[in-house]
Amino acid sequence: MIGVAPPAYDPAAPTTAHTLPVGAPATVRAYVAELFRRHRRAFLLLIAVNTVAVVSSMAGPYLLGGLVERVSDGARELHLGVTVAFFLLALAVQAVFVREVRLRGAILGERMLADLREDFLVRSVGLPPGVLERAGTGDLLSRITTDIDRLANAMREAVPQLAIGVVWVALLLGGLVVTAPPLAAAVLLALPLLVVGCRWYFRRAPAAYRSESAGYAAVAAALAETVDAGRTVEAHRLGARRVELSERRIKEWTAWERYTLWLRSVLFPVINVTHVTVLASVLMVGGVFVLQGWLGVGQLTTGALIAQMLVDPVGLILRWYDELQVAQVSLARLVGVRDIEPDAGDPATAPDGRDVHADRVHFGYVEGVDVLRRVSLEVAPGTRLALVGPSGAGKSTLGRLLAGIYAPREGRITLGGAELSRMPAERVRSHVALVNQEHHVFVGSLRDNLLLARPDAVDAELWAALGAVDADGWARALEEGLDTDVGSGGLALTPAQAQQIALARLVLADPHTLVLDEATSLLDPRAARHLERSLARVLDGRTVVAIAHRLHTAHDADVIAVVENGRISELGSHGELVAADGAYAALWRSWHG
Amino acid sequence: MQIQHLPYPDPGVPDARSGPRFLWWLGRNQLRGQLVSLAWGLLHFGSVSTLPFCVGFAVQAVVERSGARLALAGGLMALACVGNAVGDTFLHRAAVTNWITAAARVQQLLARKATQLGSALTRRVAAGEVVAVSTGDVEKIGWFVEAVSRFTAAAVTIVLVCIGLVVYQPALGVVVAVGLPVLAVAVLPLLPRATRRADFQREKAGYATELASDTVAGLRVLRGIGGEELFLARYRRASQEVRHAAVRSARMWSLISAIQVLLPGLLLIAVVWYGVQLARQGRITVGELVTVYSSVMILTYPLRHFEEIAMAYSFSRPSAKRAARVLSLERFMDAEGADGGSLGGAGEDARAGSREATHAGSREATRVGELPSGDLYDPATGLLAPSGRLTAVVCGDPDAAGRLAERLGGHPSEKGTSVLLGGVPLDELPLDRARAAVLVQDKDPVLLSGSLRELLDVPASGKVRAEAALAAAQCEDVLAALVQGSLDADDPMDARITERGRSLSGGQRQRLALARSLITDPEVLVLDEPTSAVDSHTEARIAEGLRELRAGRTTVVFTSSPLLLDRADRVVLVHEGEVAAVGVHRELVHKEPRYRAVVTRETEEEAALSGVLNEFDVDELDELDELDEIEETA
Repeated sequence: MIGVAPPAYDPAAPTTAHTLPVGAPATVRAYVAELFRRHRRAFLLLIAVNTVAVVSSMAGPYLLGGLVERVSDGARELHLGVTVAFFLLALAVQAVFVREVRLRGAILGERMLADLREDFLVRSVGLPPGVLERAGTGDLLSRITTDIDRLANAMREAVPQLAIGVVWVALLLGGLVVTAPPLAAAVLLALPLLVVGCRWYFRRAPAAYRSESAGYAAVAAALAETVDAGRTVEAHRLGARRVELSERRIKEWTAWERYTLWLRSVLFPVINVTHVTVLASVLMVGGVFVLQGWLGVGQLTTGALIAQMLVDPVGLILRWYDELQVAQVSLARLVGVRDIEPDAGDPATAPDGRDVHADRVHFGYVEGVDVLRRVSLEVAPGTRLALVGPSGAGKSTLGRLLAGIYAPREGRITLGGAELSRMPAERVRSHVALVNQEHHVFVGSLRDNLLLARPDAVDAELWAALGAVDADGWARALEEGLDTDVGSGGLALTPAQAQQIALARLVLADPHTLVLDEATSLLDPRAARHLERSLARVLDGRTVVAIAHRLHTAHDADVIAVVENGRISELGSHGELVAADGAYAALWRSWHG
Repeated sequence: MQIQHLPYPDPGVPDARSGPRFLWWLGRNQLRGQLVSLAWGLLHFGSVSTLPFCVGFAVQAVVERSGARLALAGGLMALACVGNAVGDTFLHRAAVTNWITAAARVQQLLARKATQLGSALTRRVAAGEVVAVSTGDVEKIGWFVEAVSRFTAAAVTIVLVCIGLVVYQPALGVVVAVGLPVLAVAVLPLLPRATRRADFQREKAGYATELASDTVAGLRVLRGIGGEELFLARYRRASQEVRHAAVRSARMWSLISAIQVLLPGLLLIAVVWYGVQLARQGRITVGELVTVYSSVMILTYPLRHFEEIAMAYSFSRPSAKRAARVLSLERFMDAEGADGGSLGGAGEDARAGSREATHAGSREATRVGELPSGDLYDPATGLLAPSGRLTAVVCGDPDAAGRLAERLGGHPSEKGTSVLLGGVPLDELPLDRARAAVLVQDKDPVLLSGSLRELLDVPASGKVRAEAALAAAQCEDVLAALVQGSLDADDPMDARITERGRSLSGGQRQRLALARSLITDPEVLVLDEPTSAVDSHTEARIAEGLRELRAGRTTVVFTSSPLLLDRADRVVLVHEGEVAAVGVHRELVHKEPRYRAVVTRETEEEAALSGVLNEFDVDELDELDELDEIEETA
């Protein structure tokens, strides 16, 4: 059997639930239209420059045609000097403008690409915190890396090159019509084959290339994981399986390579035959016309040479067209972020006071499944409340509701009498901050890492904040001080130092209420104890809701709430709960011995 | 090698002595493919080069008013058309096949090397380099290896056409034959600069991507505390820098394009100028003039291969060098003499068998199929983990605990006295067998991506079912979270775990890793802080589950959590690299202040006290050092 069927396994198929929307065709179209409008001038300029370049490129065939005509007629005066001078002039113009075309194309492409990636990040950082908590950052991350990467080629090359190619073909055909209309008609003889072949190809190609590149990325990803997990792989004796996995990925990838190779094995002959058919039909039809005396030899020569020139722009269009189709999918994913409504909140809603109140709150992530049921709670200003309970009981969810990240399905959560879920995110965070185990240290200077909490802070304030969390010791020892580059690629900070930076940010942001979700859980116990002393200083005077996973945190709290199965089962101070001899008391005894 | 037969059953042993040798080795191993590509390339380029002759022939036929010869020209074109289409398609197929087989071979070599290096990778800078070779260098290496035969075909064609033109029309042919080589090499001097600019642009783009993904990765922090504008402004700056670098790079490439138009154009003009005069003198026909002109136009196509091969080589040379370096890494470069580990790396189970024989001499317990068993004893610290019992180790310094845990598994990165399992030194066992006898789960076990079933499918005794291990590690809520996060999995075993389990919380990851270790069910299981990110409620249940599941097996847990310590048969306090106390939790908590300091929360006074003690220790040490120095100088 001739032909290759597409492989059954598609590495580009999504495996995890898409949590963020993908742009609808209308949204994508509107975005593209806007992008074009923004760069209309640059587009028009590119086309103008390109027109000059193509027209001057046709001077050669035209002038040679004239010479051929006169030589074959045996004319006495050839005006060779003048012709060659024209030739040289046209060549100079062509060279200059070809350079301009490449350059203008790149400038335009780079502008559009820069617009696109900056737009996307602007949108991303405006996403509501609730959407981020729910969706995680993985999907967003793959959009800003993989999809921007794919679009880069399309914007940088495909869009300008296609614009150039289309104009180029049109002008060459126009040149043929001007030289001799019958020759232009001869070109059309080759058209049906090209159209049929390309339709067949472009229906299959974009998806196949997407799968192929996903397959190749999977080969590299498998190896990267083996390397990253070196110790685990060795400890569990997974070496042979990892080699096997890598080879399976290679098999999957090459199966797609084989399929796309088959697609091209159909497309290539079509293009080749088209090119030669164009040239041959021009020569044969034109030749017959010349023999009949309807056309001059010079016209035929010019026509044949122009037909030969069609190879380049046609190749250009075919080369970049599928890139554009692949880019469409990526664009839809990027533009999709625009479809998420930024939760505007009600600017009029402002808290009056600092007490936090939850009133008969119900909440669930999925419809019909409530994670929290009828939870009521009151936290007076300056109180320390500890939430304890088994994993999955709903402590973290309750913490996020109290921090205003999610809105309750039923019931109300208020801060100073104002409903948290109706305030803009920017206002909520000036009052309440959620501190979780994610101690992200951003790529950049130590200063940038602190400034984000209070952009107008001066260095003295930054040092004071570092001092407040016991971090000024190591920070002062840094050779470049606040200018030291940290984060991935920069100075590697220990988890404890990263945690201290997170705490210093809190000192700078200065919210009066903090929700701590296992803030020190990823640290080794000794560092955690050291940090808790810094933490104590930061917490001083603030209202604190601590999701406690170490019992001594609970021990220090004013109030302990035991969360079990979506409800608060025990509530009281340490002493009261130990005396009550319930679940908490049992746990405490085994902890403290 | 055809694509459908990939991967190679055995990718072979590469010549990794240097970059060029590695390229040569790759090319030599696909000699057949190279020859096939060369043959089709000659057909393709040859057919393309006959087109100008056809054009000239047709024009001449028309000039001479000969319909028959015009038809003959048409027939010749049809032939050229077939040769061109077949040649181009099969050249492309051969070239792509060469590229893919070379790339697949390198990827296979890398995968084998990575598993052979195993834990040595994470300790070394090499980790990043292996990945860099796989993601970036393989493509460039494949490109050059493949381009060689294509370039050869193009070069041979150009030489043949020049010879042909000189024979066919000596006067004009000479002009072309002199001009073409100039065209071929004209832009080469500009290429290094252009590629440097392109590299710079890529570097800038890489930085911008890093900033963007870093911002997104920390987005929850940003949204929670502010600073979005600061980071946007920073990204905009980086993004604009990329744009400037790209435009700068485009300036160079556009100059190259202009030269590629200008030089062939000048040659064309020379051909026209000289050719028209010859035609007028009747020395050549009009058809011949058109042929030569058309040839120059068409030959710019094979000529581009000179540029391509120059670029491919300049790109692939550093890539090949890096690949060769990575492929020549050994597990322990600094080890004195041959080390069992450096030969029988993990992942070579199949071949390890034959090698084991050479190591088996020393102890009877290393007989094939039988692993040593008994008490685990570390002579360096005096730590003893009795066979079949649950031993908890408390160590004030987490780094020291990590090193001790690593040593307990044998073949550690720092050589020293070997740990003994049932009297057998683990370091003297082949690596794979030592790992089979003792499983050390380090502080940061990595969850490999894939379905949960794949994650838990590890070499194991087969006596512990996945359900039992998951239950012991308290994974119910993890399973629920996994099902919720996956697209179409109702069975949690089909749910997918993302890379490093990033979609799960720290505590969830720890519990899954623990379940995986429990399924393995090794003779000795060493766990380093297995529940540090798990809440107390769950930790208490895990302690119970662990105890039940490992009943009768040797287990060592490094921890400072009273909930785990309370369930251990035996608790050992390691202080300053030596066993300081042995007992059970309740007893040690009351009797041993140093133990209490690590395990329970220190009060301020205690902290102050231990601070004083530490200072005292340091002073004493300094004095000792001084004494040493005095002794040495004396």
